[in-house]
Amino acid sequence: MRPIVSLDDVSLRYHSIGGETLAVSHLSLSVPSGEFLSIVGPSGCGKSSLLSMLAGLITPSKGNISVNGEIGYMLQKDYLLEWRTIRSNALLGLEIQNKLTPKNTAYVEALLDQYGLGDFKDHYPYQLSGGMRQRVALIRTLAVRPDILLLDEPFSALDYQTRLSVADEIGTIIRKEGKTAILVSHDISEAISLADRVVVLSSRPASVKKIYDIKLSIEQYSPMKAREAPEFREYFNAIWKELDVHVV
Amino acid sequence: MWYKRDLKSVSKEQAAFLNRLRKRKNAVLGIQWLLLIGFFLLWESAALLGWIDPFIFSQPSRMFHAGVQMLKDGSLWTHIGTTLGETVAGFLLGTVLGTLTAVLLWWNRFISEVAEPYLVVLNSLPKTALAPIIIVWLGNNQTSIIAVALLTSVIVTVMSVLNGFLQVDAEKIKLIQIFGGTKAQVLTKVVFPANIPCILNALKINVGLSFVGVIVGEFLVAQSGLGFLIVYGSQIFKLDWVMLSVMILAIMAALMYEGIAFLEKKCLKWQQ
Repeated sequence: MRPIVSLDDVSLRYHSIGGETLAVSHLSLSVPSGEFLSIVGPSGCGKSSLLSMLAGLITPSKGNISVNGEIGYMLQKDYLLEWRTIRSNALLGLEIQNKLTPKNTAYVEALLDQYGLGDFKDHYPYQLSGGMRQRVALIRTLAVRPDILLLDEPFSALDYQTRLSVADEIGTIIRKEGKTAILVSHDISEAISLADRVVVLSSRPASVKKIYDIKLSIEQYSPMKAREAPEFREYFNAIWKELDVHVV
Repeated sequence: MWYKRDLKSVSKEQAAFLNRLRKRKNAVLGIQWLLLIGFFLLWESAALLGWIDPFIFSQPSRMFHAGVQMLKDGSLWTHIGTTLGETVAGFLLGTVLGTLTAVLLWWNRFISEVAEPYLVVLNSLPKTALAPIIIVWLGNNQTSIIAVALLTSVIVTVMSVLNGFLQVDAEKIKLIQIFGGTKAQVLTKVVFPANIPCILNALKINVGLSFVGVIVGEFLVAQSGLGFLIVYGSQIFKLDWVMLSVMILAIMAALMYEGIAFLEKKCLKWQQ
């Protein structure tokens, strides 16, 4: 089967007054449809640049990227627009793409109802908790029916407890909707608990250092349960070593 | 509002706390009124007792009579209407043109970089210095007065609104781009709505600035308006007219400010 996303020998160079920076170097990777892929790497290694390239916001300096499907992108924070109601925020993507058809609007309404936001459609973002806001952001992304979701540390702005439950919720939703997902994270546990595969990147310039297939012996999968699997710790330790974090 | 709420439903301590707050609020309001009334009483008695010469200082009762007189012959309404119309035209034009210019400069960073030093200098320049030039160019008429009012507010609007535009979170712009949004959509969906508070604030400041422009303009060319009344009254030593005009200007400024504050509240119900 043809992979839904593939990067072939991709390099990226940034130019600034201070000089040029090689952010990504000869990176190759392919993602089959329906997979949940996590990408971890040392901070500042170029993870976000990778997602920006996949989303088509920046073009690679060298190499090829092929994406066979619509991209949905979740940013580090929810970035709900304060002056719009929850409903109107969830419809933003459709509005921009001129796709506000009755069918699409009904789909968004259904998603809001389904994921516990039915009573908050006419509320403003400041009236919602961090976790709820993140769910609205996910629905805003899902509204345009993307095939591939790019998640750029989407839980990093939340406090630890909320973060665990939101990651669990959102991971479950993404699997239920049958989407391909690429998550960038600096949280190893989060990466393992959500993913089918974990890619470890080298420090800058980023390239693939190692790929782990995550196979956990648990009955019914959920990101929260994944953390209880006996293999979880082994993966964690292996990836931790691979990342080679030096605390100075 | 908290100070109007029923105190029965809260604990004793909370009630005592709210009571203290309410007392304080009443004290502030009471003293504010007292100061205002006291000022006019002192002024009136000072004139009656001969401490000041009412011919050059005027006095509240004389202002009142002058006002009633001018209301009867209708001239007061003409003056107020003239000044009000010019001021409103000035600050609306200043805000709209300033915002449009800010949009242009936001759209094209090259133009804005070129324009920057000129804007900085124009912003610090006292715009009323340009009033005589405007009058020579546009003539002895109302257009000149409105142009002066516009000039006093437009540059500061451009600068503050552009600054607001540029401070919009880059990630919110990215959000629009992720959905394939165009630059026009970045403007209409994020940059402009995010800056409505900023534009309303500019409008508030422009009310005051526009008044300055209009009054200076009227000093120079007008045949009617409160600025004209002030200059004319001082020339023929009708200080009652001058003082009355200043009072009316104060009231007009306060009312317009309140009006915009009301508009702000209506527009910004999404704010905490």
